[in-house]
Amino acid sequence: MMKRLIATKDHTMTPIASHHELETREHELRKTRMLMVDGNLTQNLRTVDRGVSARAYVDGYWGFGSEPLGGGADRERVQRQALSNARSMARFGARSPLALAGVRHVGRQQHQGRTPLTPAECNERLAELHAWCKRRYPGLRSTRFMIGDEHHGKSLTTSLGGDSFARIDRAACMFTLVGEDTSGAPIEVDEWISGRGTLADVDWSLDTLAPRLERAHEHLQAKRHAVTARGGLQTVVLAAPLAGMLAHEAMGHPCEADAVIGGAVTASLVGQAVASELVSMVDFAHTYEGAPTLIPVQVDDEGTPGRDVVMIERGILKSFMHSRETAARMGEAPTGNARAYNPHDEPLVRMRNTAILPGTSTMDEMIAGVDDGYLLLKTGNGQADSTTEFTFGITLAYEIRGGKLGQALRNTTLSGSAIKVLKTVDAVGDTMHWECGGYCGKKQPMVVSMGGPALRARAHLGGQ
Amino acid sequence: MSDLQGSAEQTLALMRRQGFEHAQVSVSRSHRHEVCVAHNEASLLRSTLSNKLQLTGLLDGRRADTEGSELDADSVQALVRSLWSSVAAAPQDAANAVSAAQSARVTRGPQQADSAALADAMRGLLDWRAQHTPSVMLEEALAGHTQVQACTLTTGGSALQCALGWYDAGAFGMAREGARSSSFNFAGGNAESLAGAPIVERFGLDGMLRALARSVHTEPVGERFTGAVVLSPPAVAGLLTWFLGQLSDQVLINGSSVYRAALGQAVAAPLITLSSRFDAPGVSPFSADAFALGPVTLLDRGALQCFTPSLYGSRKTGLAHTPVGAEGWAIAAGTTPLDALIAGVPRGALVDRLSMGRPAANGDFSGVIKNSFAIRDGQVGHALSETMISGNVAQMLRDVSAVSMQRIDVGSWILPWLRVEGLHFS
Repeated sequence: MMKRLIATKDHTMTPIASHHELETREHELRKTRMLMVDGNLTQNLRTVDRGVSARAYVDGYWGFGSEPLGGGADRERVQRQALSNARSMARFGARSPLALAGVRHVGRQQHQGRTPLTPAECNERLAELHAWCKRRYPGLRSTRFMIGDEHHGKSLTTSLGGDSFARIDRAACMFTLVGEDTSGAPIEVDEWISGRGTLADVDWSLDTLAPRLERAHEHLQAKRHAVTARGGLQTVVLAAPLAGMLAHEAMGHPCEADAVIGGAVTASLVGQAVASELVSMVDFAHTYEGAPTLIPVQVDDEGTPGRDVVMIERGILKSFMHSRETAARMGEAPTGNARAYNPHDEPLVRMRNTAILPGTSTMDEMIAGVDDGYLLLKTGNGQADSTTEFTFGITLAYEIRGGKLGQALRNTTLSGSAIKVLKTVDAVGDTMHWECGGYCGKKQPMVVSMGGPALRARAHLGGQ
Repeated sequence: MSDLQGSAEQTLALMRRQGFEHAQVSVSRSHRHEVCVAHNEASLLRSTLSNKLQLTGLLDGRRADTEGSELDADSVQALVRSLWSSVAAAPQDAANAVSAAQSARVTRGPQQADSAALADAMRGLLDWRAQHTPSVMLEEALAGHTQVQACTLTTGGSALQCALGWYDAGAFGMAREGARSSSFNFAGGNAESLAGAPIVERFGLDGMLRALARSVHTEPVGERFTGAVVLSPPAVAGLLTWFLGQLSDQVLINGSSVYRAALGQAVAAPLITLSSRFDAPGVSPFSADAFALGPVTLLDRGALQCFTPSLYGSRKTGLAHTPVGAEGWAIAAGTTPLDALIAGVPRGALVDRLSMGRPAANGDFSGVIKNSFAIRDGQVGHALSETMISGNVAQMLRDVSAVSMQRIDVGSWILPWLRVEGLHFS
């Protein structure tokens, strides 16, 4: 049995018996969300959630407590709750504590962005975008513009001496054009623009969006006459946003160490080929090619400094993403992937900026090399499995016949085993695309970014 | 509760003083305790206390909303000032309004957590897994208790108060044999009490865990064909989500609902009756726009009875306002035993989960069936892998050919198994 002193932020020292560790987090989460449907502002919401939480590790069990900040929040009360909760887990039996890595990080993460837009500026721009679409595309049934931003500030102190402030700031704009196909049924095309910072840092001005809206409208017209995909195994060119989704969903989740311990098939594949040698995949902590990533994690919510995790290197499965606990269980080093979404959440193993690395092919070359297949441009969402089987909704796609684009496809689904699909990759694009507009779901939501170049592979398409 | 009511009254008065013409204030406090399992072992005890202050302000037909987590005077004043800034910038819209003359006080469920009962329930689940499905790894599982107190006031005179308590449990995992894994799956739900039955006998948990253990070795369906599916209650819940979305604000306002001209018409098989259960454990008795919820029937023997626009959506579209909650739905039990439901399938699949993107705006979908088993000549066979079905969700509701006597109750829904004909397998 050890006897230690725990240090709280205000430097009071409390004697605690037994083996334990304690981390305390003050967390502020601010969000903006505005939705304009056909010129009607149907959502105009700003939220702030501030809380203090503590997580204790005592004799092999975890305890967690949290309270709102303000109005009498008490760090020591929350710490006592966490310690008490951890101790009460002893009712499940005595347990040897894991030797958690003794990481310690001291530092403050800053973001220098533009002055945030005011509500009036946001509303004026939304109205301008709607009016432009209404004027230019009178045949549309509906337009939707959604904007949102999200800002996390986390102060973390740990009993190992860690003392850090971390922040995540991301913003996104999504538009959806709704039309009708030739039978009168509704069809949609949407697009995301996302980036680091506030809605002032992401360019969603009319000047920037007009060409994108024009392309989306062209796609919508093509979808009016869309055909159904042939179901079954097909040659597909995945546009860069889909490759990022593939990296995140299909191979990223099975490389989270808690999933590995839980039985994901990746557990027994380290050192083996899981992809074509053209494929390398990395979860970047905070920097890509010398610039900050969209979701930079300098330090995670356990106080571990973030470091990159190379999951696949030239087709070979290399390593996994870790919290301190999963690292101890697997005899590896923590990687800074333990992240909590809101002030009342405990850290879980989560991705940060997951990407397939670029290759050397151009998009034109990749399409020209397909005699009979499909170009998949946009995905609505994706899901993955412990087996690496994945499913993506495909909301915009075209036939490829004789190396040329053909008719648009009705919405379909792409699926397959990621390992089988990645082994068939025979071309990797030369241009990276990053985005951070959505959420990853795993008990808690999480802000992440995904990146990738275009890929050419074989996978299953839904159809008849 | 009295302090929440006091906070709501003071905040509403503050908003009036600020100049809002109409306002809605909701103050809630939530206590949660949960015992968590990670990788087949008890791991964590969480206790959280959270507050939420939700404000809606209207001025000259303009509307803005805000939420905060702090109830002290300075924080509330800052939130009101922020809302004032937002509302002034919003466009005018005559459909904006707040509820009026709603009055209700609801107390339901256990108001205090029984920590020992939570731990015993989780120990029971772990013991059952070890004895009956040892190949299953519970990556996550939890048993928890939530208590929520809430008070909502509007300038229209609405006053709604509730104190809700409920238990919940759930498990997420997969089975593994050697280097092979099953797909993952999840089951869970809410209950008034943990007494009376082990949690593994609730929410379809035992069936889910046993099915995982039988799903490590899978085969593809083999060839394309058109057949039937027997959808388990969790898969039916997926259909329900799409259907409810087609009756709600966004698609009603932009006119893209596939049911926009179908009120009173048959939109589902006559075997389907879909009604509310807003009094179920964990389900709010009030709508988000501050209406007390009464019983609602959406489908009566397949015929669409009403749309579910919010107050705003109703004023925007002219459709009748039907207040509903975010969850709390039931499909009436049928008369066919589950075994007979399956026996009636010459070729198809027993489907527990459909993995897919959002269906297209017209209801077309294709998706991979997960945690599913082949059916041939009325017999359940091998577990399936890499098998896709495609069809149209609206058509599936019309093509329901049988509804089971048995249902699974998870609180937020109680649903039977459905047999649906005419799906394309590939």
